[in-house]
Amino acid sequence: MATNKGHSAVRLLWSLLIPAFFLMAMPALTGVGGLRAQESGAAQADPGPPNTLGKRSDAEIWHDLRLGAGGIANPPTGSPEAGSVINSEGWEWAKLRNPEKSPIVHYGAWGLLAILGLLVLFYLIRGPVGHGEDSGRRILRFRLSQRIVHWSVAFVFILMGLTGLSILFGRPFILPLIGKEAHSILLTAAMQAHNLFGPIFALFLLGLFVHFLRGNFPSLVDIKWLLKGGGFFGGHAPAGRYNLGEKAWFWTAVIAGGALSVTGFIMLFPDDLATRNTIHLSELIHAIAALVMIGFSLGHIYLGTIGTRGTLKGMVDGYVDENWARAHHDRWLEEELEKAESGDQARETAEEGA
Amino acid sequence: MTLLELLEGPLWIASASIFVAFAAFRLIVILFTGRREAEARPAGSPFLGALRTILGHFLPWRRLLGNGKAWFVTIAGYSFHIGLFVLLLFAAPHVEFIREKIVNLPWDPIPRWGFILSAQFAFAGLITLWLRRFVDPVVRLISRPDDHVAAGLTFIVMLTGCMALGEQSAFLRGLHLGLVELWLIYFPFSSLMHTFTWPFSRGFTGAMAGRRGTRA
Amino acid sequence: MTSDTTEKHRNFDKQRDLPDEVRVENAMAGFIAEFGPRAQSWMNACVRCGLCAEACHFYLATGEEKYTPIHKIKPFEDAYALTHGPFSWLHGLLGRKPKLTIEELEEWEELIYDSCNMCGRCTLACPMGIDIASLVKDARRGMYAAGLLPDRLARIVRNAEKQHSPFGSPEDFRKTIKEIEKEYGIPLPLDKPKADVLMTITPEALENRHFGVASMARVLHHLGYDWTFCSDAFEATNFGYLSGNMELQGALTVRLIDKAREIGASMLIVPECGHAWGATRWEAAKWYGAPVDDIKIRHIVEVLADAVEDGKLECRPVGESATFHDPCQQIRRGGLEEKPRILMRALGMELREMDPHGLDAFCCGGGGGVLANERAGPLRLKAFELKKRAVEETGADHFVTSCNICEMTLGRDIEATGFGKQIESLIDLIGANMITDQPPLKAPGSGAKPKGVGKRAAGAKKAGKGRSAARRKPAAKK
Ligand code: HEM
Ligand code: SF4
Ligand code: SF4
Repeated sequence: MATNKGHSAVRLLWSLLIPAFFLMAMPALTGVGGLRAQESGAAQADPGPPNTLGKRSDAEIWHDLRLGAGGIANPPTGSPEAGSVINSEGWEWAKLRNPEKSPIVHYGAWGLLAILGLLVLFYLIRGPVGHGEDSGRRILRFRLSQRIVHWSVAFVFILMGLTGLSILFGRPFILPLIGKEAHSILLTAAMQAHNLFGPIFALFLLGLFVHFLRGNFPSLVDIKWLLKGGGFFGGHAPAGRYNLGEKAWFWTAVIAGGALSVTGFIMLFPDDLATRNTIHLSELIHAIAALVMIGFSLGHIYLGTIGTRGTLKGMVDGYVDENWARAHHDRWLEEELEKAESGDQARETAEEGA
Repeated sequence: MTLLELLEGPLWIASASIFVAFAAFRLIVILFTGRREAEARPAGSPFLGALRTILGHFLPWRRLLGNGKAWFVTIAGYSFHIGLFVLLLFAAPHVEFIREKIVNLPWDPIPRWGFILSAQFAFAGLITLWLRRFVDPVVRLISRPDDHVAAGLTFIVMLTGCMALGEQSAFLRGLHLGLVELWLIYFPFSSLMHTFTWPFSRGFTGAMAGRRGTRA
Repeated sequence: MTSDTTEKHRNFDKQRDLPDEVRVENAMAGFIAEFGPRAQSWMNACVRCGLCAEACHFYLATGEEKYTPIHKIKPFEDAYALTHGPFSWLHGLLGRKPKLTIEELEEWEELIYDSCNMCGRCTLACPMGIDIASLVKDARRGMYAAGLLPDRLARIVRNAEKQHSPFGSPEDFRKTIKEIEKEYGIPLPLDKPKADVLMTITPEALENRHFGVASMARVLHHLGYDWTFCSDAFEATNFGYLSGNMELQGALTVRLIDKAREIGASMLIVPECGHAWGATRWEAAKWYGAPVDDIKIRHIVEVLADAVEDGKLECRPVGESATFHDPCQQIRRGGLEEKPRILMRALGMELREMDPHGLDAFCCGGGGGVLANERAGPLRLKAFELKKRAVEETGADHFVTSCNICEMTLGRDIEATGFGKQIESLIDLIGANMITDQPPLKAPGSGAKPKGVGKRAAGAKKAGKGRSAARRKPAAKK
C-alpha cells in the first residue's frame, strides 16, 4: 500500500493524540476536582448536602461503630452471611487488591501502556491500511439497528472504562497528583456513575450480542486469514463477514463483557446475591475482565478509525465501498453480490454526480 | 460567598427567572402573534378534534406498527421522558430542593431504587436516541446543531446528577446545580421548548381536522 | 447515505427577471406573511425524530433522505428562525437584516414543488402532529413571490390569471358546453340569471371528459335541482392554491362565491376535484374574514351520497368488485371519507379496500400541483409503485376514484407502466347506472367519441384486463 510521506506528520499527531486522550482523561477530570478542592478548603464549615437518601451515610455508620454501636456491621439476618463479621479469606483478597502493591494494578497499567505503545508503533511503521481506489459502488454492511446498538455499547463502555479505571488506578496514580480531597470527590463521582451505568451496559451488551452474532462463528477461512497475518503486514487475507480478529473481539466483548456484567451485579447487591468470598472473587474477575476488554478495545478502536481507511464509514452510514469489502471481506462481498443478483437489494450504486 | 452559595442563591434565582420569563415570552409570541384567519363553517367539532389528536398522538400511528423506527422512537422516547420526569419530580433530592426553593410538593419521594431505575431508563433512552442522530441518514440530515446541544446538555446535567448521588461532596452538588442552571437558561431558546409546544402543535392540527369532519 | 454536495443539482426554474437579492427579499416577505400561531406552534414543536419520512410516499419509494417531509420546508423554517426565532432580536440589536441565500431557495424549489403533494399523510405519523402539508403550502407563497417555481406550473398560473381558466376564456367555455349539449343530447343550463345551485367544473372535464360532464348534468337533472353553469365563474380548480400565488387563490375563490351570491344560489357544488374542495370549502372564509354561511359549499360526491341516503338516487347494481382510491383532499383532509363508499355500495359493487386506504391512503402522487409540473414525472412514477402494489393486492375488478386530478395522474402512470387496470370515475359510474326517468344520453356522434373516454378505453385494451362499467353498461331507462 502506497503511503504518502506528507501524511506522516498528521499520522504522528494522531498517534500522540489517541493515547494522550486516554492518559489525559483522568488528570483532566481530576484537575477540575483539584481546583475545587482548594476552594472548598476555605469552606470547611460547609455541612455538606442534607441527607436526602433516607439512609445514613457511610461516614456516620463508621463513626457510630467506632463509638461502640453494635450490630450494624453484622450482615443483616436473612442475607447469605448473616451473623458472620470477619472472615480470613479476606486477607488473600486484600493482598491482590492492595492499592499500592496489587499485581492487578501493576500489570494492568503496564499492559495497557504496552498495547498503546504497540499501536503507535504499528501505525508509525505500517500506517493506515487502505484498499486502493474507491469503486463508487456501495454495499450495506450494518443495518441501522446494528449501528445504534454498536455506538450505544461503545458510548457506555467508554464511560464505564473511564470511571472504572479511575477506581482501579485512583489510589496509586491519581491521588498523588491531585491530593486526597479531590481524589475522594473524583472517586465518589466515578463510583456512582459506574454503578448506575453498569446495568445499562449489561442491557446494551445483550443487544450487541443479538445484533452481531450472525457471522461471528468460527470458519475455515479464519485459518487462512491467520496464516496471512490478517493482511496487516501486506498481502491479502481472505475473510467472510467478519475476520478472525473481529470474531475474537466479538467473543471477547461478549465473554468479558458478560463476566463484567454478572460480577458487577453481584457487587451491586452484595447482601442479597453473595457471600464475602464470592464478592472478593467477583471483584478480581471484574478487574481482570475489564482490563482485557479495555486492552482489546484499544486495538479495535484503532482499526475502526485511523487503522483502516473506510471502515468507520461502515459503522456510521452503514455502507462500505465495494473495494473496501473486496480487500477486507472478500467472501462476504461475494455472498452479498450473489444475493443482490438473485433479487435481494443489498447492493446500491452511489449516485456519482448524477 | 462561596461558589456553592452563589449557585444556590442568586444564580439559581437568575436562571430560574430567565427560564420562566423567556419561556413565557416565547409562548406568547408563538400563540399570539402573526397571521390569524377566519375559519370555515365547521363540519365537525374542532374542540373534539383537538382533544383527539392531543391524546391520539401519544401512541404511534397505526400504520407504523410494523415499522422498526417507529417502535424504536416510541420505546426509547418514552423510556427517556418518563424516566426523566420521574426522577425530576419524585427523586428525594429533587423533592427536597423543590420544596425548599419553589413549592411544597404534596407527594412523598420515591425510594432510592426507584430513583436509580428511572435514571437508568432515562439514560438508556437518551443515549440511544442521541446516537441515532449520527447514524440514521434521515435524522442526521434534519438534526440541527440545537438538537445536539439540547441532547448533550441534558445528558451532562443527568450525568453530573448521577455522579452526585453519593451526596458526600458539595463540589459535585454544585457542579450539577450549575449545569442545571445553564440548562434552564438554554431551554427557552431551544428545541427543548417542545416540552410546552406539543399540545398546541397537536391541538391546532386536530382542531383543523375536527372542523373538516376528518381525523388527524 | 451519500452526501451529494460535490455536484449541485440544477433542478430549478426561474421566472421573471429579478435580481437575486429581490428574489430573496420577496421570499422572506412571503414566508413571514404566513407565520401565525398555527405555523409557529408547529415549527417550534418538531423534535427531529424523522418519523414523518416513514409516511411520505416519495421517501418510501426512493429511500432518499432529502424527501423527509420536514426537510422540505427548511427555507421556511430558516426564515422563521432568522426573523422570529428565539435569537432573532439579536439581529435587530445589531442592526442586521438577516436573509436566506438564493442558493438555498433554488435548491429547495424541487423539494417544495416536485416532491410534496400536500397530501397530509406525514401529519398522521408525526408524534407532534405537525401539519407539514400546510407548511409546504405556506412556503410556496414565498417561493412564488421569489419567482422560483417550476416553469410549467408558472405558465398555468399565468393562463389562469389572464384568461379566466387554464382551460380558456368564458367564450371557450360557452362553446364547449354547447358542443357537449349537442354531442350527448342533454340540456346544460348556462348563465341563468337566477338559479338555486351554481355548478363548477374542472379543465380536465372540459377537455377530455365530455361524457363525464354530460352524465353529471344528467344526475343533477334527475335530482331536480335548479342549477346552472356560469361562463364567468366556472373554474373550480385553483392554481393560486397550488402555486403559492395567494392573491390568485383569493380571487378565484371570491369569484365563485360572489357569483353564487349574485344569482341567488343557496348551494355551490365543487366537482370531482380535491384541492378545489380544500380551497373553496375550507379556505374561503380567509378571503371574507368570516365563514361563508349563506351559501352551502358542497362536493359532488357529498351531494350524490346524501341523495342516495335520502332515497332520491338509486342505481342498478353493477356487481363485480372494485377498489377505491381515496383522493387526499377529499378524504384525509376533506372529511368526505364515508361519501364515496356510500356511492360504491349504491352501485352494488363489492368494495375491496386497499391497504392502506381511507384516511391512511397513499396519495396518487399528482396532487398539490405535482401533476402539472412535468419535471416531477419520473419521481411521481416511482411513488406510483406503492399505489400499484396496493391495487394489485386487492385483486378487485375495478379501480375507481372521485377526483379528476387523481384520475389523470393514475391514468398517465398506468399508461407509462403498462399496469393492467384502468382508472374509472365514480361519478361516471353513477351517471351511467342510475335508475332515472331522464332521457338517456345520446351515444356520442359518429366516431366523435369523447376524447378522454376513448383514450382510456384504448389504454385499457392495450393492457388487456381493464374494463369500464360505465361504458359496458350504457345508461338506459327504467
Ligand atoms: C469508540 C470506540 C469504538 C469505535 C470507534 C468502534 C468502531 C467500530 C467499527 C468501525 C466497526 C466496523 C468494523 C467492520 O466493518 O467490520 C466496529 C464493529 C464492531 N464493534 Fe466497535 N467500535 C468502538 C467500540 C466498541 C465497543 C466498546 C464494543 C463492545 C463492547 C464494540 C463492539 C463491536 C462489534 C461486536 C463489532 C462488529 C464486528 C466484530 O464483531 O468485530 N465496539 N466497531
Ligand atoms: S404532505 Fe404528503 S407528499 Fe407532502 S411531505 Fe407529507 S406525506 Fe409527503
Ligand atoms: S415526525 Fe414531526 S416531529 Fe418528527 S421530524 Fe417529522 S415533523 Fe419533526
